[in-house]
Amino acid sequence: MAEDKMYRFWLHHLPGVGDKTIEKLLGRFGDAREVYAAGQAALEEVLGNNKALKVTEFRKRFQLQRAYEEMRDKKIAFYTKEDEEYPVRLREIPHPPYGLYCLGKLPADRLPAAAVIGARECSEYGSAMAEAFAGRLGEAGVSIISGMARGIDGIGQRAALMRGGKTYAVLGCGADICYPASNRRLYEEIREKGGGILSVFPPGTEPLKRHFPERNRIVAGLSDLVLVVEARQKSGTWITVDMALEQGKNVYAVPGRLTDRLNDGCNLLIRQGAGIALSPEDILAELAIIKNRSSGSTGRGLGPPKADLPKADKAKEAERTAEHTGRGKTEQSILRFLDYHPKSVDEILEGMRGAGIKIGLARLLSELVTLCMEGEAKQVTGNYFIKKEYGKGERE
Amino acid sequence: MFSTILSGTIYGMESHLVQVEVDLSSGLPCFVMVGKLGGEVRESGERVRIALKNSGITLPPVHISVNLSPADLKKEGTGFDLPIAVGVLAAQGRLPSGCADNTMILGELGLGGEIKKVRGVLPLAIKAVDGGIRKCLVPKENVREAAAAAGMQAVGVNHLAQVITYLKLSEKQQAEMLPPEEGGYQEELSGEISGGGREKGPDFAEIAGQESVKNAALIAAAGFHHMLIMGPPGSGKTMIASRLPAILPPLSRKESLEVTSVYSISGQLCGNAGLITERPFLSPHHTISPQALCGGGKVPRPGILSLCHRGVLFLDEMPEFKRQTLDLLRQPMEDKEIRIARSSGFFTYPADVMVVGAMNPCPCGYYPDRNKCRCTPFERRRYLRSISGPILDRIDIFAEASRVEFSGLRRKKSGESSASMRRKVMEARRRQKERYAGTRIRFNADLEAGDLDKYCRLDAAGAELMEKMFRAMDLSARACHRIWKVARTVADLSGSPSVLAEHLSQAACYRAGDLGER
Repeated sequence: MAEDKMYRFWLHHLPGVGDKTIEKLLGRFGDAREVYAAGQAALEEVLGNNKALKVTEFRKRFQLQRAYEEMRDKKIAFYTKEDEEYPVRLREIPHPPYGLYCLGKLPADRLPAAAVIGARECSEYGSAMAEAFAGRLGEAGVSIISGMARGIDGIGQRAALMRGGKTYAVLGCGADICYPASNRRLYEEIREKGGGILSVFPPGTEPLKRHFPERNRIVAGLSDLVLVVEARQKSGTWITVDMALEQGKNVYAVPGRLTDRLNDGCNLLIRQGAGIALSPEDILAELAIIKNRSSGSTGRGLGPPKADLPKADKAKEAERTAEHTGRGKTEQSILRFLDYHPKSVDEILEGMRGAGIKIGLARLLSELVTLCMEGEAKQVTGNYFIKKEYGKGERE
Repeated sequence: MFSTILSGTIYGMESHLVQVEVDLSSGLPCFVMVGKLGGEVRESGERVRIALKNSGITLPPVHISVNLSPADLKKEGTGFDLPIAVGVLAAQGRLPSGCADNTMILGELGLGGEIKKVRGVLPLAIKAVDGGIRKCLVPKENVREAAAAAGMQAVGVNHLAQVITYLKLSEKQQAEMLPPEEGGYQEELSGEISGGGREKGPDFAEIAGQESVKNAALIAAAGFHHMLIMGPPGSGKTMIASRLPAILPPLSRKESLEVTSVYSISGQLCGNAGLITERPFLSPHHTISPQALCGGGKVPRPGILSLCHRGVLFLDEMPEFKRQTLDLLRQPMEDKEIRIARSSGFFTYPADVMVVGAMNPCPCGYYPDRNKCRCTPFERRRYLRSISGPILDRIDIFAEASRVEFSGLRRKKSGESSASMRRKVMEARRRQKERYAGTRIRFNADLEAGDLDKYCRLDAAGAELMEKMFRAMDLSARACHRIWKVARTVADLSGSPSVLAEHLSQAACYRAGDLGER
């Protein structure tokens, strides 16, 4: 049995042989061991002269046993379509990949999975949205699938982990390589918390540009639904979206401002008929985790809709509201002038003065710092502030 | 056949009085000079001989020896021409003996006998006064500078023939021929104390918006804190920095003498200026070499850093400076002076400067505007890191200028004027002066960790906030001290005797954050 797997591992390593050719070979020879044992002449029948020569050469050169052991030492599991563990969702897409390497666990077939994807160079708004959506979905038990890239991908996955969710990263390189290196902690944490690092590329494969479209196809393939948080008009995110549509999956987009180029992608998706994600509840409803879409989702707000609140939550809610009104009047009005887009101190000052609120610069600065300390606001860079967490205090 | 004339030379930043001794004796006719002479001093003999000839005096065919004493001190500069010429004439007996006693003589000679200006007149004059000398003969262009030394009677001369005539006269006649100048500093200083100074220069009122940066500039000026301004291109970083000298407190008399001395030594005192009364503001290009910044060279001269003494050194596009060059600022930012060691000796130049840097927030300059900026976090970090940690550690105030919208430009509502800001600074300065009377501390920026508890005691609310900030913002102890120090200045500006929580939180707004770290 284990030996079978080793021959499949070899088959997956053949140079110049892709998934389609593997199908052909398996169709002719039955299984991987037979392919390994096949003579030059038999191979030529399927592969033609050149390729067959390459395969036989590779068979001589490649130290199969050692490579296989090495992979096992790295605790990377290898699954092929013949395996039962092979994800069902992936099996159902057109041209499922033959092999899948996995460090950690595969996403459970019985649990819903959603891809949360977006731009690498994201804005503060995008980062807040990714946190809010992926965090809530993860909390509700949805597996978050993403590419562990800089920006939205990583932020979403981190948020899911933070709120006790499971997340799975699909890489464009070998599963043993952490790319980007700056996400090393996330890479470790995903496994520690019961998720997995997946890849269709053999261990040791470098992250090359041409690998990423395939990576994106798998991200879409492993999910029931794709949520785009922030994307430019021309970006890698579109590949994932195209693949998802091709695979017949729903695409949701988080709307944004028309003036921000980073929102163009999402807004365009909406025009083309993508679902509008106003709150994580929309996604949860789509995944049939909750019955009805929250009534609140037509308005605004994240978190559980008011109507469905259990009693304990309601009490908490009341407490929070009280706390909120208990805050100083000035602080509250400053909070009203903050946004999820970075605003400079001068803008805030001007806005407040325009609204007839008398406040000095010195006062505003010290109040802002206080708000930051209370976790209500965040200083993005020296002069720019945003509201801290989307969904917090939105309902008042 | 022997005479002695008093003159002086500058070595590094130090001034020394020098005796010019001339002896005429029989022997092979020649002109010999000794006494550890620099190149330009050695050439002096030729200038003196020809200048004398062209003034109508022929040297007798005798052996002329000139010794500059103390003989073990390196002599630099061109100021010895005139004293040597006078010494030769005195030794010849062409001038009455004792005519140049108790008089310091300085001046370079042209071949025609005209007298040209020299460097370092002010520090030499001060040195002379300390040595009990009350009179000096200096080039006409340097006379106001020499007169700035308290108690010095400076006589300005412009030709060798004039000097000869002058020295032949009795004291009373001399005063009639060339009345000595004296006490030039008094008028200038009094003019400044009345609040004059810079009001004609560019004004803060011309800056649209950017109130938070202007506020930061006010705090920096009041406490003499080093400051870094970050902002996208065209947001007025340079405008704000160049207006800083206008709101800094005026130079005190002592400071003014220090600054003028540095300029005098480096030969940068322009025209027939007296004391420098405005705080210097220099903005070197980022290609500046280490020597130009710190001083040095074979003949040591003060660098840009010392020329900014008691003023502002503005480093525009700070990350563009070579890291090596910037790192040279570390020691002077701490010690307020720069010590240079060369094979020719040690030199200490004053360097009490307020360093003001300006930089973009990222390589393209537009972060956090994501419509324009596509810099990756890595690129941003690398850009910020091009300024080394130790330098960032010494900067107290970080201010960020935001992008100026067109509507903001058009509104034309003028902001606070420099004059009003300066009044606030002066008031804060007065408080600091009172508080630190009798200590080495001049400004809040000079406070060290140990001084904070003594001068900036926090009340309960303040201490609680400090602790909260320490945890919430993940501050280092050093960052904490910086906020504390700046809060002291904020308190001084608002007229509060103690540092309150609101002052702390305002100061925290201008902290470095995780700039270049992470």
